[in-house]
Amino acid sequence: MTQSYEVFLGCAIPSRFNNYESSMRVVAKELGIELIDFDGASCCGTVVLKSIDEHSWLSMSGRNLALAEQRGHDIVTPCNGCFGSLKDTAHVLHDKKQRKAVNKVLSSLGLEYTGKVKIRHFAEVLYDLKDEIAKKIVKPLDGLKVAFHPGCHLIRPSNVAGFDDPELPNKVDELLELTGAKSVPWGLKLKCCGSPLLIASEDVATEILREKMKSAKEAGANCVVTNCPACHTQFDVQAIGLKDENDESLELPALFITQILGAAMGLDSEQIGFELNRVSLDPINDILGL
Amino acid sequence: MTESWGQFKSFEGKKFKALDSEFTAKVSKLIGGEDLTACFQCAKCSAGCPVSDKVNIQIHEVMRMLVFGLKEVLQTDMVWLCTTCYTCQERCPQGIDITDILFGLKNMAYKRGITPSGYVTSAKALYDIGKLYSPTEWEREDLGLDDVPELDVSETKKMLDKTKLLKLQEGM
Repeated sequence: MTQSYEVFLGCAIPSRFNNYESSMRVVAKELGIELIDFDGASCCGTVVLKSIDEHSWLSMSGRNLALAEQRGHDIVTPCNGCFGSLKDTAHVLHDKKQRKAVNKVLSSLGLEYTGKVKIRHFAEVLYDLKDEIAKKIVKPLDGLKVAFHPGCHLIRPSNVAGFDDPELPNKVDELLELTGAKSVPWGLKLKCCGSPLLIASEDVATEILREKMKSAKEAGANCVVTNCPACHTQFDVQAIGLKDENDESLELPALFITQILGAAMGLDSEQIGFELNRVSLDPINDILGL
Repeated sequence: MTESWGQFKSFEGKKFKALDSEFTAKVSKLIGGEDLTACFQCAKCSAGCPVSDKVNIQIHEVMRMLVFGLKEVLQTDMVWLCTTCYTCQERCPQGIDITDILFGLKNMAYKRGITPSGYVTSAKALYDIGKLYSPTEWEREDLGLDDVPELDVSETKKMLDKTKLLKLQEGM
């Protein structure tokens, strides 16, 4: 049966990582997942607005939920930040008092949130289709050693995210390994990438990134893979030129899960968008068939 | 320029006037605050915190300050250097929603003007365009992606007027 969702892109993907959207779309098409444009989407609210004012955050996020709900569609998002924000909103709005307060704001727009809409991360949707994906692997990525970074809001808090084990997540790794790639264990895999701190202290954010990259390198990875544009900002933008204390480069090619799957499924490499990856992919060109 | 946040750097030599139970009660009413006073200081939160080694005041100390009703907590760097990773909340043996409480503290600090300036800029962007960033059109054209669906900003402005987003810091 064809699955169908309104796709919530958020702000960071259309701004910085259009290759994530493009690769998601070709993979979705190949798997028969219908992605409907999300008319009228605003920012999800994210941890930024939640940090400033929770009532504004719940209203902003609640409006997006109410729009999809009114149109009778469920939501899929490729962004951990949007996933976390939208799911957390739905979680908080189980509380009648909070829901009433938000609906009071939404009523001025002729909207109401009732709690029916489902929110999924694109990685979840892919995981459900892993058997179909396995059958579509035509260009195995043998030799790719992936440091997979799940990011925080895909798995925590687990009572809200509801996707994978919060301490030993393995579902996306399983998907990645369908391609012949190896998901390497690395010490700081579950540590936050530091991206949310770029707004408060770039120094601290960079220090965390340095620790992460060292850990990935020590584990023998030849690339970092994410499913989130916020995390990706660290690995594919902030990491450029990053060095350790011995002046050794800490850069590693940074890819999205959909780029890995798309490449292994033999999909159009232009649409997978490798051209837009910022850290050079040279070290893994041969494996990716570029 | 001295930052407006993170100025409470150490307990060394500090004297606190009084324990304010009303402040503790107020924090307990925040989203996720209901189990605040169940904290028994095991410090498991700080053990898993990605910034424990980078802050002046760690998260278990923040929790202690809250139980003691010390408003100075809003001046600690932990409030704004929390990455929101939720590891502490996930692992708390008392089931305290620690990360969520920190969001509430950020809200309190923001209202008092104790905030990294990036948040003030972001509030303005969220009000003005309903988003944090705008699409990069040439990339989308190169990849053959359709335009991002339009947002009628007057709708989000109407909401954010109601929630008084741009007036939160008035009277600080």
